[in-house]
Amino acid sequence: MTSTKERLRTDFEITWCPGCYNFMILESVKRTLAKLIDEKFTKQEDIAIVAGIGCHAKIFDYLNVSGFYGLHGRVIPIATGIKLGNPNLKVIGFSGDGDAYSEGMEHFIHAGRFNTNMTLVVHDNQAFALTTGQPTPTTQEGYKSKIEPQGEHNTPINPIKLALASGITFIARANSNDIENTARILEQAIKHNGFSFVEIIQPCLQFNTDMIEIGKLTYKTEDNKDDMKKALSLADEWDYNNKKGKIPVGIFYQTQKPSLDDKWNLLSELKKKKVGWKNLKR
Amino acid sequence: MKLNILIGGKAGQGINAVSSIVSAVLSKQGYFTFNYRDYPSLIRGGHNFNVLSVSDEKIGSVESRLDGIIAMDENTIKKHKNELKKNGFMIESEKFENLGRNLNIALAGALIKILGIDKQPLIDEVNRFGEEAIKAAEKGFSSEKEKFKLKKLNKNIVIMTGSQGVAQGAVNSGIDIYFGYPMTPATPVLHELASLQEKNKFIVFLSENEIAAVNSAIGASFSGAKSMTGTSGGGFDLMTEALSLQGQTEIPLVVYLASRPGPSTGVPTYSMQDDLDVALRAGHGEFPRIVIAPGDAIECIEKTNESFYLSQKFNALSMILSDKHLAEGEFASDRKPNKTLKVEIKRKVPGEAIVKTNSYEHDEKGNTTEEAEIIKQKAEKRLKKYEEIKKECRRFQMIKIYGNKNAKNLIIGWGSTKTTILDAIDSIDSGIKTGKGNYKFLQVLYLKPLSDEIRKEIEKTEKAKGKVILIENNLTGQLGRLIREKTGISIKNRILKYDGRPFFVDELKEEIQKIK
Repeated sequence: MTSTKERLRTDFEITWCPGCYNFMILESVKRTLAKLIDEKFTKQEDIAIVAGIGCHAKIFDYLNVSGFYGLHGRVIPIATGIKLGNPNLKVIGFSGDGDAYSEGMEHFIHAGRFNTNMTLVVHDNQAFALTTGQPTPTTQEGYKSKIEPQGEHNTPINPIKLALASGITFIARANSNDIENTARILEQAIKHNGFSFVEIIQPCLQFNTDMIEIGKLTYKTEDNKDDMKKALSLADEWDYNNKKGKIPVGIFYQTQKPSLDDKWNLLSELKKKKVGWKNLKR
Repeated sequence: MKLNILIGGKAGQGINAVSSIVSAVLSKQGYFTFNYRDYPSLIRGGHNFNVLSVSDEKIGSVESRLDGIIAMDENTIKKHKNELKKNGFMIESEKFENLGRNLNIALAGALIKILGIDKQPLIDEVNRFGEEAIKAAEKGFSSEKEKFKLKKLNKNIVIMTGSQGVAQGAVNSGIDIYFGYPMTPATPVLHELASLQEKNKFIVFLSENEIAAVNSAIGASFSGAKSMTGTSGGGFDLMTEALSLQGQTEIPLVVYLASRPGPSTGVPTYSMQDDLDVALRAGHGEFPRIVIAPGDAIECIEKTNESFYLSQKFNALSMILSDKHLAEGEFASDRKPNKTLKVEIKRKVPGEAIVKTNSYEHDEKGNTTEEAEIIKQKAEKRLKKYEEIKKECRRFQMIKIYGNKNAKNLIIGWGSTKTTILDAIDSIDSGIKTGKGNYKFLQVLYLKPLSDEIRKEIEKTEKAKGKVILIENNLTGQLGRLIREKTGISIKNRILKYDGRPFFVDELKEEIQKIK
């Protein structure tokens, strides 16, 4: 009998660069989903993924679940729509640092406010890789690229701090290199009632090799619950620039607030009846 | 019988209350009304006015010459007294003191008396506002003398704005979620739907911006909701990327576009039909779409329903085109809308099966592709779909012809100019009412696909040496250009107005008669 994980695989030819850290993220995602299906937390056909545009987004073709390969920057609004269209689905959005923090920042900043019951996974390689290596909002200072031969002169944003400030209710950082811990964090994120945000540090072998060094600086923290002070201090340990010191990985913050489908009676009703709008009898 | 009454004052004084009370009373007495709202983009102060036209026959326009003025401030008198006809009446709010918020009810009462309607229907109308309001109505009523004698007529009339029509059409179609972001003049549909959501069990969702609204609408449609979004010019520009996304993913989407005058922020609270071009073409790549422009509130109900129907049937982008005059004009009608078309989602949705959709060119399973053969097949499939859409649209009224079918002259227009054109033709030779005049009016309701009948009508008229006249509320005659693109026929006689105001019926009559 084929395993659940095997059933999540597609025959699509994988076109990431050889050795790309995205392979490891894909493996973590498959392990997580297989576990959730085997535990009967969800069914394979009840999962819907959304991908943006960029290297990260190729994951869409490699996972045998329903999904929407969307537009650059629009992972969150499309996923929000899918969740509103059928709150019984487990919705997971895959995005990149260019996708989520550059083109899609206007949506990211509102995610905590809506608290849609979904997960956003950001593959953060600190570069626009599929367009050949331009700097993104998280790229470290001094990073040389075709567009900035003299090196990146802007200061990177810290998405974890931003997420804390904008009221996102589950915030975590993972290291793509650590498949097991990434899968563990993803599982917690998907089980969270509300908007969960997982940043995955991911070196880019073609364009941002500094990231390989950064990956080595990570250490696992104890999962934090709703201690905002502690969360902010963890977030402050790394400014996305510094190649020295330690980079914490783990669940930085988790709190309970009504999610989007708790706030709308009609959505709660759909969940109770286990139907989407399409099959709702009125 | 036809009267035009202007009610003017500062924003916030309640001029809409006066016109809505009076038109409600009049409609129950069996009279047709049309209410035009003219207001600048501010919340308190300034100069706002409504022109309420009243008739015992169908009416959908206002005149520039007035039979009466209700002035809630000095400015109204100053600005409009020259528009008052010789025997016109004037009610000044100054004579009512200490009425506070009930001043507008007193003014409505005074007008009801002037029109020669009994006091009781007025009292029935204001009863819900409480005792003070009734007293104010009585005070107003007794302050004036009868000038007209509007006897009760036996007609069943409903008053509705175009926005209410669009909202009703969406509800009739079984809308599940409307995604919006405020922008005049599309906001009234957002508000109207919000007021209907609880009773009709659907959701109105306020997104963080128009980009989010339209992307969420497509997302929700993907997972099985009948969704819709709406906006005006600048918001529509932001939505453009997702129209193209619709074209690639083929997830049903209904978009309501209410245009405003001029490029950019333009003139938010005024009216122009200048976004036909952008409705027809916005979004990169080649993909089919449907663009429908209703011309009155009842048509808004019907065409919004058709829009939902076609969008679901063909997994297509379907757009409803409007403007401020249609969106906020208050139309009285004794016609019931056509039977509602049942709108069904036939596609499999996530939860029922593994369903993939993709903004990249993709194969039948939704997987990304760069294969030449599939790219070609998919392009041809989109083209073929448009042919099927065209065929299906023939079921519906893509155009309407009013008046004498054999009239010598042909007037062509679309959208919110419809009711004024009809009234203008009647004011020339009663041609619409009798069917015996010199002008017929061809209203284009489907802009995409465009009906083949338009060419036939133009050719027939030209052959008989009649005049073909294009009337549009824009600078360049966008429908005229569309007709030329599809038929090669260029319409020489054009009446175009582009000052942000709709046509006034007397002005339009003159313009039509000027064309030799």
